[in-house]
Amino acid sequence: MIRRNFHPFSRPILRRFRLLPVLTLICAAGISAQTRAQTHAVASSDAASAPVKSLGNRNAPITMEVFSDYQCPSCGNFYENTLKYMIQDMVASGQVYFIHRDFPLPMHPYSYMAARWANAAAKIGKFEAVDAALWDNQQAWSADGNIEKFVAAAVAPADFKRMKKLMEGCEVNPNASAKPAAFKNNGQEDHGCALDTYIEQDKQLAKQIPVTQTPTSVITAKSQRYPAMPGFVTWPILKQFLTSLLSQ
Amino acid sequence: MSTGKRETWRRVFLFIGRLALAGMFLFAAYAKLKPQAALPWSLASVRTSLSMFAMQVDSYQLLSPQAVSLAAHALPFVELGLGLWLLSGLWLRYSTLATSVLLLGFFALMVRTYSLGLEINCGCFGPGEQLGKKSLLRDGSLLAFSLAVTICAFLSKRKRSESADSVRAAASEPQRAN
Repeated sequence: MIRRNFHPFSRPILRRFRLLPVLTLICAAGISAQTRAQTHAVASSDAASAPVKSLGNRNAPITMEVFSDYQCPSCGNFYENTLKYMIQDMVASGQVYFIHRDFPLPMHPYSYMAARWANAAAKIGKFEAVDAALWDNQQAWSADGNIEKFVAAAVAPADFKRMKKLMEGCEVNPNASAKPAAFKNNGQEDHGCALDTYIEQDKQLAKQIPVTQTPTSVITAKSQRYPAMPGFVTWPILKQFLTSLLSQ
Repeated sequence: MSTGKRETWRRVFLFIGRLALAGMFLFAAYAKLKPQAALPWSLASVRTSLSMFAMQVDSYQLLSPQAVSLAAHALPFVELGLGLWLLSGLWLRYSTLATSVLLLGFFALMVRTYSLGLEINCGCFGPGEQLGKKSLLRDGSLLAFSLAVTICAFLSKRKRSESADSVRAAASEPQRAN
Protein backbone atom coordinates (compact mmCIF):
# COMPACT_ATOMS: atom_id res chain seq x y z
CA MET A 1 0.00 0.00 0.00
CA ILE A 2 2.79 2.33 0.97
CA ARG A 3 4.68 1.30 -2.06
CA ARG A 4 1.70 1.90 -4.34
CA ASN A 5 1.32 5.42 -3.01
CA PHE A 6 5.02 6.17 -3.14
CA HIS A 7 5.92 9.27 -5.08
CA PRO A 8 9.22 11.15 -4.92
CA PHE A 9 7.46 14.36 -4.03
CA SER A 10 5.11 12.84 -1.48
CA ARG A 11 7.75 13.17 1.23
CA PRO A 12 7.97 16.74 2.69
CA ILE A 13 11.73 17.06 2.24
CA LEU A 14 11.55 16.08 -1.38
CA ARG A 15 8.52 18.23 -1.99
CA ARG A 16 10.68 21.26 -1.32
CA PHE A 17 12.92 20.33 -4.24
CA ARG A 18 10.27 19.33 -6.69
CA LEU A 19 10.82 22.52 -8.62
CA LEU A 20 14.52 21.77 -8.89
CA PRO A 21 14.34 19.88 -12.21
CA VAL A 22 12.22 22.69 -13.65
CA LEU A 23 14.67 25.32 -12.41
CA THR A 24 17.58 23.33 -13.78
CA LEU A 25 15.90 23.17 -17.15
CA ILE A 26 15.22 26.92 -17.13
CA CYS A 27 18.84 27.67 -16.15
CA ALA A 28 20.19 25.32 -18.80
CA ALA A 29 18.00 26.95 -21.40
CA GLY A 30 19.19 30.36 -20.27
CA ILE A 31 22.86 29.40 -20.41
CA SER A 32 22.35 27.76 -23.77
CA ALA A 33 20.62 30.85 -25.12
CA GLN A 34 23.42 33.04 -23.76
CA THR A 35 26.06 30.84 -25.34
CA ARG A 36 24.17 30.83 -28.61
CA ALA A 37 24.00 34.59 -28.44
CA GLN A 38 27.78 34.68 -28.06
CA THR A 39 28.61 32.02 -30.61
CA HIS A 40 26.49 33.38 -33.39
CA ALA A 41 27.60 36.99 -33.24
CA VAL A 42 24.19 38.29 -32.45
CA ALA A 43 23.50 41.93 -32.13
CA SER A 44 19.88 41.19 -31.54
CA SER A 45 18.37 44.61 -32.05
CA ASP A 46 18.61 47.31 -34.63
CA ALA A 47 19.60 49.72 -31.88
CA ALA A 48 22.52 52.09 -32.19
CA SER A 49 24.96 49.64 -30.59
CA ALA A 50 27.99 48.60 -32.64
CA PRO A 51 27.44 45.50 -34.73
CA VAL A 52 29.14 42.36 -33.51
CA LYS A 53 31.16 40.99 -36.36
CA SER A 54 32.45 38.06 -34.42
CA LEU A 55 31.99 34.34 -34.02
CA GLY A 56 32.49 32.08 -31.05
CA ASN A 57 32.66 32.38 -27.34
CA ARG A 58 33.68 35.81 -26.11
CA ASN A 59 35.47 34.15 -23.17
CA ALA A 60 37.55 31.81 -25.34
CA PRO A 61 41.25 31.59 -24.36
CA ILE A 62 42.31 32.93 -27.76
CA THR A 63 40.96 35.94 -29.63
CA MET A 64 41.78 36.27 -33.28
CA GLU A 65 41.06 39.52 -35.08
CA VAL A 66 41.37 39.49 -38.84
CA PHE A 67 41.55 42.75 -40.76
CA SER A 68 40.11 42.01 -44.16
CA ASP A 69 38.96 43.58 -47.37
CA TYR A 70 36.01 41.69 -48.86
CA GLN A 71 37.31 42.20 -52.38
CA CYS A 72 40.92 41.26 -51.73
CA PRO A 73 41.69 37.87 -53.37
CA SER A 74 44.20 36.92 -50.68
CA CYS A 75 41.57 37.57 -48.00
CA GLY A 76 39.10 35.38 -49.89
CA ASN A 77 41.71 32.67 -50.14
CA PHE A 78 42.45 33.02 -46.43
CA TYR A 79 38.75 32.67 -45.57
CA GLU A 80 38.09 29.72 -47.87
CA ASN A 81 41.19 27.70 -47.02
CA THR A 82 41.93 28.64 -43.44
CA LEU A 83 39.30 30.62 -41.56
CA LYS A 84 36.43 28.38 -42.66
CA TYR A 85 38.19 25.39 -41.09
CA MET A 86 39.10 27.36 -38.01
CA ILE A 87 35.47 28.43 -37.54
CA GLN A 88 34.28 24.83 -37.88
CA ASP A 89 36.97 23.53 -35.54
CA MET A 90 38.37 25.84 -32.90
CA VAL A 91 35.68 28.54 -32.94
CA ALA A 92 32.89 25.98 -32.70
CA SER A 93 34.64 24.23 -29.82
CA GLY A 94 35.00 27.50 -27.89
CA GLN A 95 38.79 27.70 -28.11
CA VAL A 96 38.95 30.72 -30.38
CA TYR A 97 36.88 33.90 -30.49
CA PHE A 98 36.99 35.23 -34.02
CA ILE A 99 36.52 38.92 -34.79
CA HIS A 100 36.20 40.32 -38.29
CA ARG A 101 37.58 43.82 -38.76
CA ASP A 102 36.90 45.85 -41.86
CA PHE A 103 39.85 47.28 -43.72
CA PRO A 104 38.53 48.08 -47.20
CA LEU A 105 41.34 49.14 -49.48
CA PRO A 106 40.77 52.07 -51.86
CA MET A 107 42.03 50.05 -54.82
CA HIS A 108 38.99 47.73 -54.64
CA PRO A 109 35.86 49.51 -55.96
CA TYR A 110 33.24 47.34 -54.20
CA SER A 111 34.97 46.41 -50.96
CA TYR A 112 33.49 49.32 -48.98
CA MET A 113 29.97 48.46 -50.12
CA ALA A 114 30.54 44.82 -49.17
CA ALA A 115 31.74 45.91 -45.74
CA ARG A 116 28.54 47.96 -45.34
CA TRP A 117 26.43 44.89 -46.12
CA ALA A 118 28.43 42.87 -43.61
CA ASN A 119 27.86 45.53 -40.96
CA ALA A 120 24.15 45.70 -41.74
CA ALA A 121 24.00 41.92 -41.39
CA ALA A 122 25.88 42.07 -38.09
CA LYS A 123 23.37 44.66 -36.86
CA ILE A 124 20.54 42.16 -37.24
CA GLY A 125 22.58 39.16 -36.06
CA LYS A 126 23.15 37.62 -39.49
CA PHE A 127 26.84 38.33 -39.81
CA GLU A 128 27.98 34.72 -40.13
CA ALA A 129 25.68 33.94 -43.08
CA VAL A 130 26.38 37.16 -44.97
CA ASP A 131 30.11 37.03 -44.28
CA ALA A 132 30.24 33.51 -45.73
CA ALA A 133 28.13 34.56 -48.73
CA LEU A 134 30.40 37.51 -49.47
CA TRP A 135 33.54 35.38 -49.40
CA ASP A 136 32.01 32.45 -51.26
CA ASN A 137 30.86 34.67 -54.12
CA GLN A 138 33.72 37.15 -54.09
CA GLN A 139 34.68 36.62 -57.71
CA ALA A 140 31.09 36.97 -58.93
CA TRP A 141 30.21 40.26 -57.24
CA SER A 142 33.71 41.67 -57.74
CA ALA A 143 33.05 41.55 -61.48
CA ASP A 144 29.90 43.68 -61.54
CA GLY A 145 29.43 44.99 -58.00
CA ASN A 146 26.08 43.24 -57.55
CA ILE A 147 26.57 42.36 -53.89
CA GLU A 148 22.89 42.65 -53.01
CA LYS A 149 21.98 39.53 -54.98
CA PHE A 150 24.22 37.29 -52.89
CA VAL A 151 23.28 38.93 -49.62
CA ALA A 152 19.58 38.45 -50.40
CA ALA A 153 20.19 34.78 -51.12
CA ALA A 154 22.01 34.28 -47.82
CA VAL A 155 19.28 35.53 -45.48
CA ALA A 156 15.52 35.25 -45.07
CA PRO A 157 13.44 37.87 -46.96
CA ALA A 158 12.37 39.53 -43.71
CA ASP A 159 15.97 39.87 -42.59
CA PHE A 160 16.97 41.22 -45.97
CA LYS A 161 14.26 43.84 -45.66
CA ARG A 162 15.71 44.92 -42.31
CA MET A 163 19.16 45.08 -43.81
CA LYS A 164 17.91 47.16 -46.72
CA LYS A 165 16.46 49.62 -44.24
CA LEU A 166 19.84 49.86 -42.50
CA MET A 167 21.47 50.40 -45.87
CA GLU A 168 19.35 53.48 -46.56
CA GLY A 169 21.66 56.39 -47.29
CA CYS A 170 24.45 54.01 -48.29
CA GLU A 171 23.83 54.16 -52.01
CA VAL A 172 26.96 56.14 -52.80
CA ASN A 173 29.98 53.90 -53.19
CA PRO A 174 32.83 55.71 -51.40
CA ASN A 175 35.57 53.78 -53.14
CA ALA A 176 34.20 54.90 -56.48
CA SER A 177 33.60 58.53 -55.55
CA ALA A 178 35.75 59.34 -52.53
CA LYS A 179 36.30 63.08 -52.36
CA PRO A 180 38.47 65.05 -49.93
CA ALA A 181 35.29 66.81 -48.71
CA ALA A 182 33.95 63.52 -47.38
CA PHE A 183 35.83 63.79 -44.11
CA LYS A 184 34.64 64.73 -40.66
CA ASN A 185 36.68 66.80 -38.24
CA ASN A 186 38.18 63.72 -36.60
CA GLY A 187 39.60 62.51 -39.88
CA GLN A 188 37.04 59.75 -40.35
CA GLU A 189 35.33 59.43 -43.68
CA ASP A 190 31.67 60.45 -43.86
CA HIS A 191 29.62 59.39 -46.83
CA GLY A 192 26.20 59.89 -45.25
CA CYS A 193 25.84 56.20 -44.41
CA ALA A 194 25.29 55.33 -40.75
CA LEU A 195 27.12 52.01 -41.13
CA ASP A 196 30.33 53.74 -42.19
CA THR A 197 31.00 54.67 -38.58
CA TYR A 198 31.69 51.03 -37.76
CA ILE A 199 33.96 50.56 -40.76
CA GLU A 200 35.87 53.71 -39.88
CA GLN A 201 36.17 52.50 -36.27
CA ASP A 202 37.86 49.33 -37.54
CA LYS A 203 40.13 51.39 -39.76
CA GLN A 204 41.12 53.55 -36.81
CA LEU A 205 41.91 50.42 -34.84
CA ALA A 206 44.02 49.20 -37.74
CA LYS A 207 45.98 52.44 -37.66
CA GLN A 208 46.81 51.93 -33.98
CA ILE A 209 48.18 48.38 -34.39
CA PRO A 210 49.34 49.26 -37.19
CA VAL A 211 47.80 47.30 -40.06
CA THR A 212 48.85 48.25 -43.55
CA GLN A 213 47.73 45.31 -45.65
CA THR A 214 45.10 42.61 -45.83
CA PRO A 215 44.60 40.04 -44.50
CA THR A 216 46.32 40.76 -41.21
CA SER A 217 45.70 38.57 -38.18
CA VAL A 218 46.11 39.86 -34.65
CA ILE A 219 46.06 37.14 -32.03
CA THR A 220 45.61 37.64 -28.31
CA ALA A 221 45.96 34.78 -25.86
CA LYS A 222 45.80 35.07 -22.09
CA SER A 223 45.87 38.88 -22.39
CA GLN A 224 49.10 38.71 -24.37
CA ARG A 225 48.91 40.24 -27.81
CA TYR A 226 51.20 38.65 -30.37
CA PRO A 227 52.72 40.65 -33.26
CA ALA A 228 50.38 41.23 -36.19
CA MET A 229 50.70 38.60 -38.90
CA PRO A 230 50.05 39.83 -42.41
CA GLY A 231 49.38 37.46 -45.29
CA PHE A 232 47.87 34.12 -46.02
CA VAL A 233 48.58 31.19 -43.70
CA THR A 234 47.40 27.62 -44.25
CA TRP A 235 45.07 26.02 -41.75
CA PRO A 236 47.50 23.29 -40.49
CA ILE A 237 50.13 25.92 -39.68
CA LEU A 238 47.67 28.30 -38.05
CA LYS A 239 46.23 25.42 -36.02
CA GLN A 240 49.73 24.47 -34.88
CA PHE A 241 50.24 28.00 -33.58
CA LEU A 242 46.85 28.21 -31.89
CA THR A 243 47.36 24.81 -30.27
CA SER A 244 50.74 25.90 -28.95
CA LEU A 245 49.05 28.97 -27.44
CA LEU A 246 46.47 26.78 -25.74
CA SER A 247 49.22 24.62 -24.23
CA GLN A 248 51.03 27.65 -22.75
CA MET B 1 100.19 48.35 -50.94
CA SER B 2 102.75 45.66 -50.16
CA THR B 3 101.72 42.00 -50.16
CA GLY B 4 102.30 41.69 -46.43
CA LYS B 5 100.22 44.74 -45.61
CA ARG B 6 97.43 43.54 -47.91
CA GLU B 7 97.45 40.18 -46.20
CA THR B 8 97.17 41.88 -42.77
CA TRP B 9 94.19 43.94 -43.95
CA ARG B 10 92.61 40.81 -45.38
CA ARG B 11 92.98 39.05 -42.05
CA VAL B 12 91.50 42.00 -40.18
CA PHE B 13 88.55 42.12 -42.59
CA LEU B 14 88.09 38.37 -42.28
CA PHE B 15 88.12 38.60 -38.49
CA ILE B 16 85.62 41.49 -38.36
CA GLY B 17 83.53 39.94 -41.13
CA ARG B 18 83.14 36.58 -39.49
CA LEU B 19 82.34 38.19 -36.14
CA ALA B 20 79.70 40.41 -37.77
CA LEU B 21 78.14 37.49 -39.62
CA ALA B 22 78.23 35.35 -36.47
CA GLY B 23 76.55 38.13 -34.49
CA MET B 24 73.90 38.55 -37.15
CA PHE B 25 73.07 34.84 -37.25
CA LEU B 26 73.04 34.53 -33.48
CA PHE B 27 70.70 37.51 -33.26
CA ALA B 28 68.45 36.10 -36.00
CA ALA B 29 68.20 32.79 -34.12
CA TYR B 30 67.50 34.60 -30.83
CA ALA B 31 64.80 36.77 -32.44
CA LYS B 32 63.02 33.66 -33.70
CA LEU B 33 63.32 31.64 -30.50
CA LYS B 34 62.58 34.34 -27.89
CA PRO B 35 59.05 34.53 -26.44
CA GLN B 36 57.01 36.74 -28.76
CA ALA B 37 54.78 38.12 -26.02
CA ALA B 38 55.71 39.19 -22.50
CA LEU B 39 56.24 35.62 -21.36
CA PRO B 40 59.16 34.02 -19.56
CA TRP B 41 61.56 31.71 -21.40
CA SER B 42 60.27 28.14 -21.34
CA LEU B 43 59.97 25.16 -23.64
CA ALA B 44 56.33 26.07 -24.28
CA SER B 45 57.14 29.70 -25.14
CA VAL B 46 59.92 28.60 -27.51
CA ARG B 47 57.49 26.17 -29.16
CA THR B 48 55.01 29.02 -29.59
CA SER B 49 57.70 31.25 -31.08
CA LEU B 50 58.66 28.51 -33.53
CA SER B 51 54.99 28.05 -34.46
CA MET B 52 54.72 31.76 -35.06
CA PHE B 53 57.82 31.66 -37.22
CA ALA B 54 56.20 28.76 -39.12
CA MET B 55 53.31 31.10 -39.96
CA GLN B 56 55.80 33.58 -41.41
CA VAL B 57 57.51 30.86 -43.46
CA ASP B 58 54.08 29.67 -44.60
CA SER B 59 53.09 33.13 -45.78
CA TYR B 60 55.82 32.88 -48.45
CA GLN B 61 53.50 30.30 -50.08
CA LEU B 62 56.31 28.13 -51.34
CA LEU B 63 56.31 24.94 -49.27
CA SER B 64 53.73 22.39 -48.16
CA PRO B 65 52.56 22.69 -44.51
CA GLN B 66 54.73 19.71 -43.49
CA ALA B 67 57.82 21.22 -45.13
CA VAL B 68 56.99 24.63 -43.61
CA SER B 69 56.81 23.13 -40.15
CA LEU B 70 60.08 21.28 -40.62
CA ALA B 71 61.88 24.32 -42.04
CA ALA B 72 60.56 26.66 -39.36
CA HIS B 73 61.57 24.34 -36.54
CA ALA B 74 65.02 23.68 -38.00
CA LEU B 75 66.06 27.08 -39.36
CA PRO B 76 66.60 28.95 -36.07
CA PHE B 77 68.84 26.13 -34.86
CA VAL B 78 70.73 26.07 -38.17
CA GLU B 79 71.29 29.82 -37.75
CA LEU B 80 72.39 29.29 -34.17
CA GLY B 81 74.83 26.57 -35.23
CA LEU B 82 76.17 28.64 -38.10
CA GLY B 83 76.64 31.63 -35.81
CA LEU B 84 78.63 29.55 -33.34
CA TRP B 85 80.65 27.97 -36.16
CA LEU B 86 81.58 31.40 -37.54
CA LEU B 87 82.43 32.57 -34.05
CA SER B 88 84.75 29.60 -33.50
CA GLY B 89 86.72 30.40 -36.68
CA LEU B 90 87.07 26.70 -37.52
CA TRP B 91 87.14 25.72 -41.21
CA LEU B 92 86.43 29.33 -42.02
CA ARG B 93 86.20 28.81 -45.77
CA TYR B 94 83.37 26.33 -45.31
CA SER B 95 81.51 28.28 -42.64
CA THR B 96 81.58 31.48 -44.72
CA LEU B 97 80.61 29.52 -47.82
CA ALA B 98 77.65 27.97 -45.97
CA THR B 99 76.66 31.45 -44.78
CA SER B 100 76.76 32.85 -48.30
CA VAL B 101 74.74 29.95 -49.69
CA LEU B 102 72.10 30.39 -46.95
CA LEU B 103 71.92 34.15 -47.47
CA LEU B 104 71.70 33.64 -51.24
CA GLY B 105 68.75 31.30 -50.67
CA PHE B 106 67.03 33.84 -48.39
CA PHE B 107 67.62 36.67 -50.83
CA ALA B 108 66.33 34.70 -53.82
CA LEU B 109 63.20 33.79 -51.85
CA MET B 110 62.64 37.39 -50.85
CA VAL B 111 63.08 38.64 -54.43
CA ARG B 112 60.61 36.02 -55.68
CA THR B 113 58.04 36.98 -53.01
CA TYR B 114 58.45 40.68 -53.65
CA SER B 115 58.09 40.23 -57.40
CA LEU B 116 54.90 38.21 -56.83
CA GLY B 117 53.50 41.17 -54.91
CA LEU B 118 52.87 39.24 -51.69
CA GLU B 119 52.61 41.66 -48.79
CA ILE B 120 53.97 39.65 -45.90
CA ASN B 121 56.38 39.84 -43.03
CA CYS B 122 59.99 39.10 -43.86
CA GLY B 123 60.48 36.91 -40.78
CA CYS B 124 64.24 37.51 -41.04
CA PHE B 125 64.74 38.82 -37.52
CA GLY B 126 61.51 37.72 -35.89
CA PRO B 127 58.01 39.00 -36.55
CA GLY B 128 56.91 42.55 -37.29
CA GLU B 129 59.15 43.44 -40.19
CA GLN B 130 57.46 43.85 -43.51
CA LEU B 131 59.10 42.49 -46.63
CA GLY B 132 59.86 45.44 -48.86
CA LYS B 133 62.56 47.44 -50.56
CA LYS B 134 64.26 48.17 -47.24
CA SER B 135 64.56 44.53 -46.20
CA LEU B 136 65.64 43.57 -49.72
CA LEU B 137 68.37 46.19 -49.67
CA ARG B 138 69.53 45.03 -46.24
CA ASP B 139 69.60 41.36 -47.18
CA GLY B 140 71.25 42.14 -50.51
CA SER B 141 73.98 44.08 -48.71
CA LEU B 142 74.43 41.26 -46.21
CA LEU B 143 74.78 38.78 -49.06
CA ALA B 144 77.39 40.98 -50.76
CA PHE B 145 79.26 41.32 -47.46
CA SER B 146 79.11 37.59 -46.85
CA LEU B 147 80.39 36.87 -50.35
CA ALA B 148 83.26 39.29 -49.77
CA VAL B 149 84.14 37.52 -46.50
CA THR B 150 83.93 34.12 -48.24
CA ILE B 151 86.21 35.26 -51.08
CA CYS B 152 88.57 36.73 -48.52
CA ALA B 153 88.61 33.44 -46.57
CA PHE B 154 89.47 31.49 -49.72
CA LEU B 155 92.10 34.00 -50.83
CA SER B 156 93.65 34.04 -47.40
CA LYS B 157 93.88 30.26 -47.36
CA ARG B 158 95.42 30.23 -50.87
CA LYS B 159 97.94 32.85 -49.87
CA ARG B 160 98.88 30.85 -46.80
CA SER B 161 99.23 27.68 -48.89
CA GLU B 162 101.36 29.54 -51.44
CA SER B 163 103.63 30.97 -48.78
CA ALA B 164 103.91 27.54 -47.14
CA ASP B 165 104.81 26.06 -50.52
CA SER B 166 107.45 28.73 -51.15
CA VAL B 167 108.92 28.15 -47.69
CA ARG B 168 109.03 24.43 -48.39
CA ALA B 169 110.55 25.06 -51.82
CA ALA B 170 113.12 27.39 -50.33
CA ALA B 171 113.99 24.81 -47.74
CA SER B 172 114.34 22.04 -50.31
CA GLU B 173 116.40 24.10 -52.83
CA PRO B 174 119.67 24.22 -50.78
CA GLN B 175 119.34 20.49 -50.26
CA ARG B 176 119.03 19.98 -54.04
CA ALA B 177 122.03 22.34 -54.61
CA ASN B 178 124.05 20.25 -52.22
